[in-house]
This record gives sequence, structure tokens and C-alpha cells, in this order.
Amino acid sequence: MEFTFLFSQFMSGLTYGLMLFLVASGLSLIFGVMNILNFAHATFWLIGAYICFTFWSLMEAHQFALWVSIPLAALATAAFGWFCEIVLIKRIYKRELHEQLLITYAMALILGDLIKIIWGPTDRLIVRPSIIQKPLFLFGAPIDSYFIFVILMGFAVALGLWWFLKYTKYGHIVKAAVFSREMVGALGIPIPKIYTWVFTLGIFIAGLAGGVQSAIGSVTLGMDTNIIIQAFCVVVIGGFGSLMGTLVGSLIVGEVFSFAILFWPDGAMVLIFVITAAILIIKPWGLFGTPLRA
Amino acid sequence: MDKKNSFLKRFWLPALLFFIALILPLVVAEFWVHVFNEILILGLFAAAFNLIFGYMGQLSFGQAAYYGIGAYTTGLLMVKLQWPLFACLPVSMITAGIGALILGYFCVKLRGIYFAILTMAFGQLVFFILFQWYSFTGGDNGLQGINPPVWLFKANAYYYFSLAVVTIGMIALYFITESPFGYTLRAIRDNTERTEFIGINVQRYMLINFVISGMFCGLAGALWGPFNRSVAPDLSSWQNSGHPVFMAVMGGPHHFLGPMIGSVIFTFLNAFVTGFTEYWPLVSGVVMIIVVLLMPGGLFGIIKSKGYFSSRDVGDVKNE
Amino acid sequence: MNDDIILKTDHLSKSFFKYQVLTDVNYQLKRGEIAAIIGPNGAGKSTFFNLVTGYHTVSGGHVFFRGQEITNWARHKIARIGLTRAFQVSNIYPKLTTYENVRQSILAQLKKTLNFFTPASKFARNETLELLKITGISGFRNTEAGILSQGDKKKLELALALASKPDLLLLDEPTAGMSSEETHETMQLVKQLNKDIGLTILFTEHDISVIFGYAQKLSVLHQGVLVAEGTPEEVRQNKEAQACYLGEEI
Repeated sequence: MEFTFLFSQFMSGLTYGLMLFLVASGLSLIFGVMNILNFAHATFWLIGAYICFTFWSLMEAHQFALWVSIPLAALATAAFGWFCEIVLIKRIYKRELHEQLLITYAMALILGDLIKIIWGPTDRLIVRPSIIQKPLFLFGAPIDSYFIFVILMGFAVALGLWWFLKYTKYGHIVKAAVFSREMVGALGIPIPKIYTWVFTLGIFIAGLAGGVQSAIGSVTLGMDTNIIIQAFCVVVIGGFGSLMGTLVGSLIVGEVFSFAILFWPDGAMVLIFVITAAILIIKPWGLFGTPLRA
Repeated sequence: MDKKNSFLKRFWLPALLFFIALILPLVVAEFWVHVFNEILILGLFAAAFNLIFGYMGQLSFGQAAYYGIGAYTTGLLMVKLQWPLFACLPVSMITAGIGALILGYFCVKLRGIYFAILTMAFGQLVFFILFQWYSFTGGDNGLQGINPPVWLFKANAYYYFSLAVVTIGMIALYFITESPFGYTLRAIRDNTERTEFIGINVQRYMLINFVISGMFCGLAGALWGPFNRSVAPDLSSWQNSGHPVFMAVMGGPHHFLGPMIGSVIFTFLNAFVTGFTEYWPLVSGVVMIIVVLLMPGGLFGIIKSKGYFSSRDVGDVKNE
Repeated sequence: MNDDIILKTDHLSKSFFKYQVLTDVNYQLKRGEIAAIIGPNGAGKSTFFNLVTGYHTVSGGHVFFRGQEITNWARHKIARIGLTRAFQVSNIYPKLTTYENVRQSILAQLKKTLNFFTPASKFARNETLELLKITGISGFRNTEAGILSQGDKKKLELALALASKPDLLLLDEPTAGMSSEETHETMQLVKQLNKDIGLTILFTEHDISVIFGYAQKLSVLHQGVLVAEGTPEEVRQNKEAQACYLGEEI
């Protein structure tokens, strides 16, 4: 195995891992703060991808179309996510586990069909702007130039979230809420409002991720059901509510998958689930999670 | 005479349902016989799931793994080794039970949401094994040509066969839920800690229950193969694991017949809605939300609160 | 090991994170005694029970039951060999009826819980009714246990513990929430069991009349340390015991 080949596999894995991070970070945040496992998270991601496509198609004559569409898609998805929280998610915070899971699962079903109704079953393809049409050569290996963008975006979001949690007032509130809801409420900070904004933030990131995803391959129905379980694995491995954990978890999944495909193509996915199961058995709260929160 | 009266008094509902199930093929078209056959199989699946959920209080989001193992066991034995269907059923229960023993050993170390996620992860594990192991399981093509014996080939015949197997399975499950073991499950559900303090090794009992549930999920899966004439990996998908959850919740997880009734409603609705629209996920999602938000305790929960049933469980055993 | 000593702890300690709850507790209990452990709130009484019954793991030291070491044994194992406990906050099965609650404990003791095919209603009818009668809750046998009054829940709590046919019974504030009449009933029952079947009792209490009315041996725990031991009268004279109950009458 020559170095250039291994390096391009590594970059593939990095890209895939960071895309997973973009999907999983919102999921981890929502679970960390509100204890809700959002089955519909990947569906919001897919909605972001489709919305991005629509925006792009309105401007496709221009080279900047993609770069403008991605943030627009993120905002639009976030707005929709905010709506969903107000209308539905708000009602299930105090419910039992099985009720929460069924409701978010139902939401995934409904939104999935909504995508079908609005955009139809045909694949959607974005034509990339010329700047990213040719591969970049790093260490002699041809790397898809868009992958560089994905990687940069992934790290940017990670950095942004870290800065938000560590240095802003709202970030501190969110961090405290992960640790203890009751205390934050007792301090006079309105919990329902926090939940709404955390959910919206999580969906914003998902929508952003969807926008980024839309230029990687084609956008098709059913992509969400594939990736949601992988996102769960990432959050389990890394630890719910931990940003570092989600990042590490997604990189592990991304790279393991990328290299496992070389040796055991059929078993790559199986390996991911074995790792996930192993973590749950040995350290249920993940590599970076805190045992205080069950 | 007295014994017969009290029997009917306690079991009038299951007796009625059984009677209806018996005469159904005589009054409805073949399409609906298929639908009711499906209701029976999925109802058994949901009832087996409910051993873990309603009776023991844990949410398994991966029972479809054992359903799939049972389905593929029967499928493989019939297609590759030409085994008779009757022999395949108990073997499917055994393989599903072994699967549940191996995977369940790890699952029962966890509780609550971690238990749910681990069962989900294991469910996906089985799904991907079935999906990727092309040479053995046919991969994403699945196994075709699983034909029941000639005398069970027609819809009505296989329906009555399913009815017989499912009825026996349900009766066995009922005995289990009313046995000391069954009450120990309820004790684990209501107060796990206390149960340890009266001398019960809770983890061991959870594992035994997990295996029993897996075996009956496997039995349901085994019935499915010949019914559908084929099996595919998505029998073990996480979406398929969600169906018994929904059925149990819809019918009422704290009543023995709840999951079966949930299957009736869900499967019937499915057959009906897919008749005139492709957007079944949308409809089922809406129904799910309505049921969960507005019908706590499912259908039986609502009926019970209106006082139609005096005992706590349908067919429940009274103490005195 | 002296066959007379049913419970013994050796340098028993427990700390949660950095917080030391029990320090170096050496305790001995003779078979057939009715003993009590008292102390102000937070002294470590419940923790002591928790360590002995396997609810928590020990940080240091050993526990011996009937001469056998049971330190850090699994909870169900300890319950099986005859060491049971009634909880301070009623730890019953809320959704089962009172009858089913008691029957469950009896079934566990009879080791019948792996029976899959005989209806549970056929088992242990007499034993269950008997135990309900003894503990005075027969009238509620078909009520869901979750809606019983505090006092009745405590009686059910006692019944659940007794059903396991223990050699040593730990009672965590058995009469809390009871009227004086119920208190008298319960403690008389406990005393009767001690006399009839030689059941060793160890309880914690705040009710002075109960302590002095029934305990043969008293141990005082203060901030995780045993500060005094002896008959109730001896303890009453003890200066250290008095000091830790500053302001409270003994």
C-alpha cells in the first residue's frame, strides 16, 4: 500500500467523519441538554440538502450559487426546526422514553414523506462551481477539492461550537443545562426558551451539514435513514452532550470505515456496530461523556 | 358448569376474537385474508416484544433482529435444504433464542436509554450481516422461492395454519405472563431494586426473558417467510423494530391482548391506506403522534378508564 | 468464629467521592438480640445498612454474616442467605396489589420464580394470607399498593422483608409515619417474632419510646463513628452519646 493511496483514504475518512460530525453534533447537543434522542435529525439534514439544491437551482447561472445556498439552506432549515419544536417537540420533554422515541420517529416519517411530496422521487444533482471541479494534489494524492471545503467547514463548526460553549453567556447556560437542568431553572433562566433555542441551533447545524452534503454526491430520498443510525453510533462512542466526544467519535467512525473498506468491504459497517456495542458495554456514557447524566 | 361460566367470564374477549378469526376467510375476499394473516404474524411479534416492554419495563428497539433470524432460518432451511415447514419452526425458535442469548447477555447489563440504544445497535448489526453476507443470505436480494407445502399454498390454508401457530404461541405467552416468572417480571418493572432485595438475580431474569421474547419473535419471523414467499434483510431493520413498539403502545402495553389489537389496527390501516396513497409513512407518522400524545395506555388504557373492564388485565387472574 | 455472633463488621468504612460517611466501624450483634443503632441525621445509619446488605460497595473493611464473609456480595445473594431489610422510604411494588406484593416475596423465597407454566394464583395462597394477617394489612389485599397510606405501606414493607424468612432483619425506621397505636402493633409483632422464632432484629429509630421500649442493645453512631454502645440505660448515662445529641433528650 503506497503512501499516496493511504493518504487519500485518510482524507476520505476525514471528510466522511467530519460530515458525520456535522450531523451528529446537533444530535448530541439536543440529547445532552434535553435528553431527547432525535430520530428525525438526519431528516432535517436531508431537508437542508434539498433546500440547498432548490436555492442553488434558482441561481445556478452564477458561480457563487452554491456558496450562497448553503447558509441560506441552514437558516431555512433552522426556521423549520424552530417551528417543529414549538408545535411538537415541546410537548414531549416530560414524557417517557418510549413516547419520545416514537414521536421523533414519527416526525422522521412525516418529514421524509414531505420531502417526497415537495421534491419528488428523482435524484437531484448540483453542478459544482468550477473552482472545485478539479482535484487538488496533496502529497501526490488526488484529493477531491470539495472535500477540503467539507473538512474546513467541519472544523469551523467544531471551533465555533467550542467558542460558543466556552466564552459566551448563552453557551455557559447551555453547558450548565447539560449538567443540571434543575439548577438552571432554579436560577430563573427560562428552560422552555433554552430548549427551543438549543433545538433550533441543533437543526441549524444539521441544515448546514445538509447544504454541504448536497454538493458531494446526488441528493436522494432515503439518505436520512442510512445516516441517522451512524450518527447515533458517533454520539454513543463519543459520549452524549460532549462536543469533544462527538468530534472524536465521528473521526473514529470515519477513519475506521474508510480503512475497513480496504480489508473487509462487507464488514465495514458491521465493525462500526461492534465498536458501538463494545463502548456501550464497557463505558455506556461514551469516551468523553459524564456518568452523572443517565 | 360453574367452571365453564367463569372461564368465559374471564376470557370472553380472546374467545370472541378467536371466533371472529375463524370465520373471517369465509366472509372476506382473499386480499383481506392476506391482511389478517399478516396481522396474526405481526401480532405475535408485538406480543413477544411486549414481554420485555409492558411486563418488564424496558424498551428494546431491536427485536426485529430475532424476527429476522427466525425468518432467515426457516427460509434457508426450506430453500437450501428442502426441510419441511413444520420442522423449521422450532429450529427458528432455537436460532433466534441463541441470538437473543448472545446479544442479550450484553444488553441486560444496561437499563433505560442505554439498553434501548444497545438493542438498536445490535439490531443494525444483524441487519448488516444479513445485508452483506451475500453468499449465505443472498445479501440485499434476500431469499426468494420460500414456498410452503402444497396443502398450505392457498391463502386460506396458510391463514388457518398461521392462526393455529399464533394461537398456540399466544397461549404459551399468556401462561408465561401469569406464572411466577411473569409476576417476577412485573416486580422487576415496578421496582428493580426491591426485587434484588427479595433475593432475585435481576440480570439473570432479564436475560431469560430476553431469550423467551427472542424465541417467539423468531417464531413470528419463521411464519413470515413462507407467507411472503421471500425474506429480505429489512426484516431486521430498525424501522421494523419500531413496528412492535408502536403496536404495543397503540393497543396498550399493560394488557396481554394490547399488542395484538395494536397489530390489528396498524396492519389494517396500512393495508387500507396503501390502497389509495403512496404516503403511508406520512399517515402512520401522524397516527403515531396522535396515539402517543392523546391515548396514554393505548386502546385498552382508554377502555379501562371508562370502566368497561372491571379487572386490571383482560383475562387477569383475580386473587380471591 | 463464634456461632453466637450473627453480624460482625470489621473496620468498616465508606466514602462517597471525597466525603467520608463511615469510619472504622467495628460492630457485633448476637443472635437473637433486638438491637438498635441511633444517631443524629446524617450519622451514617442508613449507609451502614446499605453496606451490610450489598446496596453499596465498601471502601474498606469487612462484613461477616453468621461467620461467613459477605463483603461486597451481590444484593440478591445476601438476601438469599437470610439477611433482609425493610427500607426507610417504602420500597414496594406500586402497581401490584398488596396481596401480589407479598406473594412475590414469598415466591422468591420459595425459589418458585422460574416456574413458567403454572398460574401464579395457585401458589402460596395460605402463606401470603397468613403474612398479610400477621402484619395487619389483610383488609387491603386487593388494593394497588401505591395508594396505601404511609403507615400501611410500612407494614407492607415489613411483610415483604419477613416473607424472605430471614435470620437477621434490618429495619430502617420501621415506625416512621405511624400512629402510636400502629407503632405499638408493629413493634409488638417484631418482639413476638423475636421470641417465637429467634429472629434477630437490628433497627434504626428516632422514636425514643420505641428505642427504650424494645432495644436490648444500643449503639450510637455520630458522623460515621461508633461513639457508644451498651444497654439503653448505659448509653443514656454515656457522656459522649449525650454530647452528640446536644439539645435532644435521651
